[in-house]
Amino acid sequence: MTSQAILAELRRKIGEQEKLTGHAWPVAASGAAELDAVLPGGGLATGALHEFLPAAHGDFAAMLGFGLGALARIISCRPGHVVWVLPAWQQRAWGALYPAGLAPFGIDSRLFTCVRTPKTQNMLWALEEALANGAVAAVIGILPENDRGYDFTASRRLAMRAARHGVTAFIFSSQPQFAMATATETRWAIAAEPCRPKAYPGHAMAGLGPPRWRLQLVKSRKGNTGNWTVEWNHETLSFRLAAPLADRAPLRIAGHAARQRAAA
Amino acid sequence: MVQSGAQITAANAAAIRLGLFTGMPVADARAIHPPLLVEPADPKGDEEALRRLALWCQRYSPLTRADPPDGICIDIAGCAHLFGGEAAMAEDLSVRLQGFGLTARIAIAPTIGAARAIAHRGPQQVTFVPDGQIREHIAPLPIDALRLNEATVTGLAKLGLSSIALLIGKPRTALALRFGAQVMHRLDQALGLENEVFNPVFPPPFFHSACRFAEPVTSLPFIEKAVHHLTGELAQTLFHAGKGVRRIRLALYRVDGWQEMLEIRLSRLSQDADHLARLLCERLDQIRDHAGFGFEAATLAAYGAEDFQMEQAAMMSGTVSRDHDLARLHDRLVNRFGERNVTRFLPRASYLPERAVRAMPVIETTGKNGRDAHPQDMQRQKSFTRPPLLLDPPEPVNVMVEMPDKPPARFEWRRISHRVRRADGPERIAPEWWVIGDPQRKTRDYYRVEDEAGRRFWLYRDGLYDRAGDDPRWFIHGVFA
Repeated sequence: MTSQAILAELRRKIGEQEKLTGHAWPVAASGAAELDAVLPGGGLATGALHEFLPAAHGDFAAMLGFGLGALARIISCRPGHVVWVLPAWQQRAWGALYPAGLAPFGIDSRLFTCVRTPKTQNMLWALEEALANGAVAAVIGILPENDRGYDFTASRRLAMRAARHGVTAFIFSSQPQFAMATATETRWAIAAEPCRPKAYPGHAMAGLGPPRWRLQLVKSRKGNTGNWTVEWNHETLSFRLAAPLADRAPLRIAGHAARQRAAA
Repeated sequence: MVQSGAQITAANAAAIRLGLFTGMPVADARAIHPPLLVEPADPKGDEEALRRLALWCQRYSPLTRADPPDGICIDIAGCAHLFGGEAAMAEDLSVRLQGFGLTARIAIAPTIGAARAIAHRGPQQVTFVPDGQIREHIAPLPIDALRLNEATVTGLAKLGLSSIALLIGKPRTALALRFGAQVMHRLDQALGLENEVFNPVFPPPFFHSACRFAEPVTSLPFIEKAVHHLTGELAQTLFHAGKGVRRIRLALYRVDGWQEMLEIRLSRLSQDADHLARLLCERLDQIRDHAGFGFEAATLAAYGAEDFQMEQAAMMSGTVSRDHDLARLHDRLVNRFGERNVTRFLPRASYLPERAVRAMPVIETTGKNGRDAHPQDMQRQKSFTRPPLLLDPPEPVNVMVEMPDKPPARFEWRRISHRVRRADGPERIAPEWWVIGDPQRKTRDYYRVEDEAGRRFWLYRDGLYDRAGDDPRWFIHGVFA
């Protein structure tokens, strides 16, 4: 056999062992071609576990925004109900989920069920229960700040359940650092990025354009990583890469922004 | 003559033989019998114990009621045959009560008034009154066996009417004029000429089944088996009746007279034995520690049965089975975390953002408030005017702003200063003048701002600078993606 054939055979064997299940669940394209090229399967995988981290502590909302965009893509690929699980006191930090804000992402708020749990183990139990259900398309868990209950075993259980039933699991972390390895399909670190200004004639201050985030794919099953700046397009309900020249942000005072980020 | 000082409220048989009675001062009692054992009276505790005993009596019938200060009323219509007849039932009850250390006088009669009168004042410990012989049985009893107040009883005694036999047949209008309608009312109720409403502790259930164990049980697998058996019976009854239930209660009776109860509420009508059994078994852990010396009986009662649409379980998964699956998930989550912690969103017809959406527990099927809006209204805006995260309550911020209408140039929130680079707004939301007593009285102007780092916030000013007396202040209401 030629070396190419041998390599292809090896890749196939390793791929089979890596897969958690025999099913091949559909893959949701994110809409940004460069992003999809790097992701395994050509897009966000349904039936898998995805993790999201904020790049700095104050980027929680930005992380949530990107996560909701990813959720919108997943739901368009596999429709169903969404179960949102969070610890009971997390609402003090950043506020509660407000369903009217889901409209720009195209997610119907009637699909949401919110569950408040006292502890992380309960949250993981709720996530596993919801993953095993046929009516659910995605489950979302938000880890509290000083969480210690989520580890490799828990992530592996979630990933296996997700793979068995085709339901996608999202884990949002409140901390920027994730010390341990987990059995996740992809892990993202998201930072807020100034958006393209919308000029209003006669006004000193420009208006807001579509939300923009700077992504870093920290870990992926295929092994690739990368940095991108993406925007959410609420008309096509998909992501697009912010073009480097045309959509660049105005000149920023680097020192102040860096100080802000460090302080947050 | 009313005496001050401690008085006896209850005496046991030995004390009564010595001549002590209720109402006698304790000092006198001690003088008669120095080594007398006196305990302080606990009327609240007694009431509580009576109530618990009434709950324990549910193993005989689902309709029981406590009759303070020292009686219990049980409606055994249709239950007696399960215990082998009324006589066997009374025997069983009195033996068990003796086991608890209580002496009981039991009377079984067609009416509540007659049963109570005979139990309190009848000559025998256990009496059976067949249908049609009520008059003979209650005639020899004294007047205070009927539930009349003190003044009436004394008044009747003064007239020479000291037993019920003398009361029957007397002119009704004269007595009613003299003592009020109460006297005749009670007499008619006892004789069965008038209806009396029985107010049971729990409302009459649609389904009630009991199972008794041969010996007291403390281990979980046996209790789970009993639960499966009972839910299987319930499911069969529901299937034949074509109904589903939304609320079930499992009661486990301990040998020492206590009762442990588990109540399950479902989000959707259900006929499914497995689902109900699973929900109950998950909660059994909580009561396993309270088994005491063991459980000897279990009852299952189901409430609120409604006509049930049987759904075809589709071969391919479609929306029909999806609702069913979702309801099962909701039930399990509610069972574990409580009703208030599993919610879904219901839009309401309000302009104020914090009132525009309500988090409703999944158990409630319809909104309580009549101001629910159509869900499509919430989805109308496709642009980014509302944030995905809303702070409750809004937090105050310090701003540096050019009046009267401009967005802030700089603001400080949670001790971090942000310099605003882009802003949209203002969006003006006026107070809801149609809500009476609304605490929100000022107009709000909302601004979406982005700071230098790219983080977006939703600020508002409560009040207008132009309006005198408004004293506007700035808050942050939400955070954008």
